[in-house]
Amino acid sequence: MLDVGRHPNIELLAYSEVEKVDGQAGDFRVTVRRKARYVEEDKCTGCGACKEKCPTIVPDAFNEWLGERKAIYSWFAQGIPSTHTIDPAHCRQLNGKKCGVCKKGCKADAINFDQKERIVELNVAAIIVATGYDVFAPSRIPEYQYGKIANVVTAIEFERLLSASGPTGGHLDRPSDRAIEAEIEELEKKANRSQKVIAKFEEQHGEASGEFYARYEKGEYSGDEERGKWAEKYQEHLAIVEPLKALKKKAGGFTAAKRLAFIQCVGSRDFRFYPFCSGYCCMHSIKEAIIAHEHGSETTSAIFGMDIRAVGKGFEEYKVRGGNNSNIRYVRGRVAEITEGPNNNPVVIYEDTRERKVKDEEFDLVILATACAPNSGVKQLADLLDIEIDNFGFYKTSATQPLDTTRPGIFVCGCAHGPMDIPESVAQASSAAARAVQTVTASEQMRKAS
Amino acid sequence: MSRDILVIGGGIAGIQSSLDLAEMGFKVHLIERLPSIGGKMAQLDKTFPTNDCAI
Ligand SMILES: Cc1cc2nc3c(=O)[nH]c(=O)nc-3n(C[C@H](O)[C@H](O)[C@H](O)COP(=O)(O)OP(=O)(O)OC[C@H]3O[C@@H](n4cnc5c(N)ncnc54)[C@H](O)[C@@H]3O)c2cc1C
Ligand code: SF4
Ligand code: SF4
Repeated sequence: MLDVGRHPNIELLAYSEVEKVDGQAGDFRVTVRRKARYVEEDKCTGCGACKEKCPTIVPDAFNEWLGERKAIYSWFAQGIPSTHTIDPAHCRQLNGKKCGVCKKGCKADAINFDQKERIVELNVAAIIVATGYDVFAPSRIPEYQYGKIANVVTAIEFERLLSASGPTGGHLDRPSDRAIEAEIEELEKKANRSQKVIAKFEEQHGEASGEFYARYEKGEYSGDEERGKWAEKYQEHLAIVEPLKALKKKAGGFTAAKRLAFIQCVGSRDFRFYPFCSGYCCMHSIKEAIIAHEHGSETTSAIFGMDIRAVGKGFEEYKVRGGNNSNIRYVRGRVAEITEGPNNNPVVIYEDTRERKVKDEEFDLVILATACAPNSGVKQLADLLDIEIDNFGFYKTSATQPLDTTRPGIFVCGCAHGPMDIPESVAQASSAAARAVQTVTASEQMRKAS
Repeated sequence: MSRDILVIGGGIAGIQSSLDLAEMGFKVHLIERLPSIGGKMAQLDKTFPTNDCAI
């Protein structure tokens, strides 16, 4: 990735989108819209001093919304370019409030609230479309209750939970536990505030609130307006502290997720959604189960699937090794439903097709292996480029020219073409590069000949 | 008239196409809609089948 930022032959236009395409193979004219970052790319050093003091906290999309970032941010720590960006939807200054804290913190004078989006015109001979895919939205399958049961997550969310640079620092903390911990933090802030309020009364009257309140309850101070206020504030304090105590007790018992269930083919091989096999998900579930076991040797995983498709060199061995060394159990059967049991534990209801029995089993965390869905912007870009999309929603190619779109000079590779893993994406990318070069040389020869 | 090539999307596929072309001596314009390149691969903890770090 670093090489892309450094290579003299690559002009990197990040935070940009194609607006218009004219011309034909050998001579396309492309209009690109460079969105305003409100940070000057040539000045920003990526130091991150700006975000330290920014008061605006927003959910972090890079971490699948499981973590937080500031309104001025870098997409992720090692991102290229490292130029920071102000999120115009949340920044105070850009929404008419007084702030500008980031600008004060920036020694490079890179922040520019008046920056406007820019239009760039390019003249290119060929175009490669590598716009990738979207993770299937599992809420479309109501019986899995994603979004309703906190401890049902997607595989990409689980990648972020496993990551040392992710929102949990690589600990497999369950979302339900994290929600309670966040609630505790909120309540502690409130308790501190109300503690200060009642402390003032205690000082004034030289008495602890508890003792005072016991007598107040007996009606000792009826008609005393001042003490009535004290009692009211003390009641409010109790209404914060008591649930806080209960939550803290509960949180004391929290442990990392140890019993994991992976559900395969969520949206894939499902005629309601995508009939195709997404190819990489069996492998990434095995991978995630192996890594989870590396995090905690007592971790066990059950992978529920119609079959495990470990197609590729070394993949079957990987699967077997996972079973032998990483406490992975492969269960043949499609999951019918996920419900919630005690302690926020998801319960998986499935048919074990080997034993021909319908069973249910409780887990700490359920991970959904979601389908490789066409990128949500596919139609829009297809219209701009005047290329066709296929029945599945990916860019259309033919069996004999698998990298050529329906318009000469425009090629496609990676998951924009269909589901595939990283090695396949890389192989296609190199092939698409070769096809693009052929377009350049062919159009040059044509020009020379005419 | 130009020999330049446009790559749309800066995930692993777009990055690889760009690097190959750049190494062959072609000028590449790489467009990414997000603030940084990397795509989904940047979000992965490690990758099968080698369990190498993704970034
Ligand atoms: C949970 C999970 C785990 C995985 N684990 C592995 C693994 O261990 N090993 C493995 O080999 N594979 C794994 N994969 C598969 C892997 O993610 C894909 O093979 C790979 O990321 C495909 O790369 P890509 O460049 O085609 O697409 P993407 O990574 O999706 O990149 C596309 C890029 O294009 C950008 N873009 C989109 N539209 C536009 C537009 N209109 N204009 C400009 N830019 C645009 C996007 O922002 C993005 O940066 C996993 C997938 C998932 C879901
Ligand atoms: S905007 Fe300024 S403070 Fe922020 S990362 Fe860039 S150089 Fe550093
Ligand atoms: S102006 Fe304020 S809210 Fe906006 S990015 Fe800067 S510090 Fe954050």
